[in-house]
Amino acid sequence: MLETEELKKVFKGKTAVEGASLYLDKGESVGLLGPNGAGKSTTISMISTLLKPTSGDVRLNGKSIIKNPSEMRRILGVVPQEIALYGELTAYENLKFFGRIYGLSGKALEGAIQRSLELVGLAERQKEIVKTYSGGMKRRINIAAAMMHEPEIIIMDEPTVGIDPQSRSHILEMVRQLNHEKGLTVLYTSHYMEEVERLCDRVYIMDHGKIIASGTKEELKSILSSEETVWIELDRPYPAFFKDLQSFKVIKQAVETEKGIKLILPKGSRILGEVFQASERHQVEIINVNVQKPSLEDVFLHLTGRKLRD
Amino acid sequence: MYTFLKKDILVLFRDRTELAVLLAMPFILIAILGFALSGLLSGNSEVLSMDVAIVQEDNEQLGLEQFAEELNGSGIPAEARSRIMAAAQETSPSSILQGILTDESLRELVTAQEMDTAAAAEALEEEEVVAILTIPENFTLNALQKMLMDTGGGAELELMIADHAATQSEVFTDILEEFVWSLNFESAIAQAANGEAPAPEETSVQFGGVESVSAVQPISSFQYYTIGMAVMFALFVGATISGIAFVEKQQFVLNRILLSDQHPFVYLGAKAISAATVTFLQFCILFFFSSLLFGAFDLTNWSFWPGMLLIGFTLAICVGALAAFLTALTMRFNNDSITTVFAGGVVTIFAFLGGSFTPTEGMPDSIQKLGGWTPNGASLNAFLIWLQNLEIVLLWEPLSRVLLLTIVLLILSLLIFPRKGEA
Repeated sequence: MLETEELKKVFKGKTAVEGASLYLDKGESVGLLGPNGAGKSTTISMISTLLKPTSGDVRLNGKSIIKNPSEMRRILGVVPQEIALYGELTAYENLKFFGRIYGLSGKALEGAIQRSLELVGLAERQKEIVKTYSGGMKRRINIAAAMMHEPEIIIMDEPTVGIDPQSRSHILEMVRQLNHEKGLTVLYTSHYMEEVERLCDRVYIMDHGKIIASGTKEELKSILSSEETVWIELDRPYPAFFKDLQSFKVIKQAVETEKGIKLILPKGSRILGEVFQASERHQVEIINVNVQKPSLEDVFLHLTGRKLRD
Repeated sequence: MYTFLKKDILVLFRDRTELAVLLAMPFILIAILGFALSGLLSGNSEVLSMDVAIVQEDNEQLGLEQFAEELNGSGIPAEARSRIMAAAQETSPSSILQGILTDESLRELVTAQEMDTAAAAEALEEEEVVAILTIPENFTLNALQKMLMDTGGGAELELMIADHAATQSEVFTDILEEFVWSLNFESAIAQAANGEAPAPEETSVQFGGVESVSAVQPISSFQYYTIGMAVMFALFVGATISGIAFVEKQQFVLNRILLSDQHPFVYLGAKAISAATVTFLQFCILFFFSSLLFGAFDLTNWSFWPGMLLIGFTLAICVGALAAFLTALTMRFNNDSITTVFAGGVVTIFAFLGGSFTPTEGMPDSIQKLGGWTPNGASLNAFLIWLQNLEIVLLWEPLSRVLLLTIVLLILSLLIFPRKGEA
């Protein structure tokens, strides 16, 4: 349905995206993962016709949309990372405005407003000024505004950033419904790996402007089929201990968090003895040690050398 | 367009800070300046009113008789003689001058008292009068000879003005110069028409436009500052609408609008129309409440308001173009400091040059010329012309400047505003 071919974007001599090729089949839900500055938003802007690529092409049903974006815009809904709404207007007034600029009027407009409000669960509070909403409610209206013209493809750029777990859960369930029950094609970016794992059939991983891996979740996890993850839970960070572990040649990746250290290493590596010896040397209190199968997050770490939220 | 207009007005009217700047602030300034500077700009002519002494040495009746005798002995055919004599009686300069000085429109401004030479000199010395106008002996005869027969050396008025009242003296001199010019003009017509004097109505029209400062139709300080603040704060509307556009871009609302396949120029045009509409509404609100609170204008004078609204409408269109221009610059450079500088500095400079704070009449010519080319200054001039009840044709110059500025700003906006894929 939608495909990009070798998309490239250069801003003032700096390459933001290079050779990005991806595709979305009708009714598919696809995740686009990458740390900040990986080129996700630039890629999304080119796909959604807001930015002209320096080179490459975007095709909708085989036809290029670079010079004729109208067809794409008609069937595309975009949920930006920002709250792209008028804070001084009510939810109803916002949706009415966005519906009107898509050419809706009369009963069709009123129907679209109420349908979108029902979808995001805010029909009861439609007459309230948006700036008085909680962060989660704003995010939901942000999605409703993109759904006013009943798009066939929706691009969601980090739609759950900075909201409470209840709103996040509501949004994820809504996206799942739109994809599974209404057949909407979804391109979803997020910093939350579990969201992508829960919602997406396939995943593209971007870093430094390039797509460095793609496939189904299982295909990506198989990248680390010969590795395993060791999670060492600590009471607090111990930088010297972490530095010591990094010097172990057998360890492929090591990441320190506030709660502990994650190590990726070849399956069957006998390393725990040395880890405990090091903890004694640095007087580190280990709370728990857990050996796991690699997750998608581990794949990401393995491929980019960075955590998703870096 | 209506959708954008409705949305912009809703957004603006729900922003109390912006509303305070656009509506409350002008009222506060009108009140402060109106009361504080009422003496300087008072329209009751107290400041400009003046007493002048008239020393009448001429005997008009005798002059007319002497002129008739001279005419009879001139050898001119009888029919022509009677026409010239009729003209002499109608255009007797002494009568016309008396008529001007006691005219309804000048009564509040000039109080003329007939005195003898000595009393007049003393009154001038005591600063009781600002000028002595002496109508010399044989003034009527000499003037008629020159005007109607083109003989003799003509007549001269003698004017002595005081040093202590420069403005009043200047105004009085202007009145006399206008009188002399009118008289010369008439005599030229009379000679061309072979002694047929112009119709009396035309004569009075000539004298109707004697003074242009504040003598014709006085302007009160509240009237002046209502207009001055209205044209100044209209410029803020342009900055405000451009500011909204920048926020729309920052918050990605503009992207959402472009994704609905609206052409960028539709968006730009909508900004211009929104600014023009808000400006016009702002004018209506300011004029209405200033009339209500300060008695600036007569709300029931139906012949007065169409002109005010026409001038307001013209400036509103220009402010629309200005908003489009500022929006285009803001979008092109992705920076709202242009709007900030405009609102924070350029508006004040324009307001000063355009005369919003104080009339520019006493300022250097260069400042007056510059001010006349600012949208607010040109509009202020147009409002003043209308308020002073001057000839409608005089409105064309300032209004044509506003329209020219509008066209230039619109063309620049279209050239600067980013096209598709660049926004």
